[in-house]
Amino acid sequence: MSGAAGLVVLLDRIGAGDRGSLKLLYEATSAKLFGVILRILLERGEAEDVLQEVYITVWRKAAEFDATRASPITWMVTIARNRAIDRLRAKGSRPTTTLDEAAEVRDTAPGADVMIDASNDAKRVAAALGTLDPRHAAVIRSAYFEGLTYEALSDREGVPVGTLKSWVRRGLMRMRTVLA
Amino acid sequence: MSEFDLVPEDGSYAALALDFALGALDGAALRSTELRLRRDPDFARDVAAWQAQLGPLADEVAPVAPPPGAWARVESELFRTAVARQPEPSRPIAAALSFWRRLAFGASAVAAVALALLVIRPDTVPPAIPTAASAAAGGLLAASMASTDTAKAVLITATYDPSRGAVILTPAAADASRGLTPELWLIVGKDAPRSLGVIDLKDPQAHKVPGALRAQLTSGATLAISLEPAGGSPTGLPTGPVVAAGKLTAI
Repeated sequence: MSGAAGLVVLLDRIGAGDRGSLKLLYEATSAKLFGVILRILLERGEAEDVLQEVYITVWRKAAEFDATRASPITWMVTIARNRAIDRLRAKGSRPTTTLDEAAEVRDTAPGADVMIDASNDAKRVAAALGTLDPRHAAVIRSAYFEGLTYEALSDREGVPVGTLKSWVRRGLMRMRTVLA
Repeated sequence: MSEFDLVPEDGSYAALALDFALGALDGAALRSTELRLRRDPDFARDVAAWQAQLGPLADEVAPVAPPPGAWARVESELFRTAVARQPEPSRPIAAALSFWRRLAFGASAVAAVALALLVIRPDTVPPAIPTAASAAAGGLLAASMASTDTAKAVLITATYDPSRGAVILTPAAADASRGLTPELWLIVGKDAPRSLGVIDLKDPQAHKVPGALRAQLTSGATLAISLEPAGGSPTGLPTGPVVAAGKLTAI
């Protein structure tokens, strides 16, 4: 059971209360979601807590999933990101490593090795990001992958919050027209 | 102007949908946006569209296999079935499960119930386990349902009145259901538990027993309470922890 269609079937069964399907869904998707959560929280114990919350949420909300509105993996990634970001906000701040390390993990365009395995959709999105000013693309990636707030991003980039917001907003709107 | 009407100073709701989908909001702006998301379907659609646009980015994150115990924790939290594999489960649940297994397989049911009764009146000799034959026909039957945790406190007293076809439940301790729904089960001999329906542990009440099961409520049968999701067990068998159990005896 793999691919988006397989995940839709699994979510449908989970919505009807089928536990076996939840286990299959976990096996198919947990490494991806754990990667997303860990990227935001950095700390493994906390990431594991959030992963657990995510599958509990999936179990409870599977019946609400609407395959006409979202892909199953986007739906689950959204739940995972929201949960991880909630946890991050509740803690007050990201467990900031030193500035040097932060510079190393700063999100830039992925290498070719990563993109070879990426879906066509991911390649299109990466290409759309590639049409933006590199600095604007980098803050959009940081916001998405690290769960950083506008405030934190403006501190990091040394620009006013208003400027930072307009980079991100105009960047995403431009991406939308490129992707359309 | 309520929080719901809050318009960001430098943008429209469209920009706010984007901010929220990206996850860049914090504090009051985040809370008011969450509120808006629940109340404004157009706004929710905008957010979903941005989430769909951003979603493929997740493919750039390298998968990381979660620790091997992570699934067991999910399963345990949802279904309370994987507790035995965990090093430090919460004690009442572990006790309840092991108690339940003993009951389900029948091997030590008598001993378990005798123990429960012993704890209710620690100074007395446990009463002999009555047999069905000893129950006075049409007489009242009672069960003191002891908590299955280590304290073995009496949680509830159940009295079956055949003339009313009802079990009168009298809670003796605070409701321990923590938002779950208590469900009453009948266990006869080695048969699988049968549901007598969901109950309310907060106040004394007469709980009607389904007609077909009334004849089964005899001296020696066991009543047990498990905690189930809202609406009761989805499977027809107990799925949650057993919080109390006791055997019916003639009074």
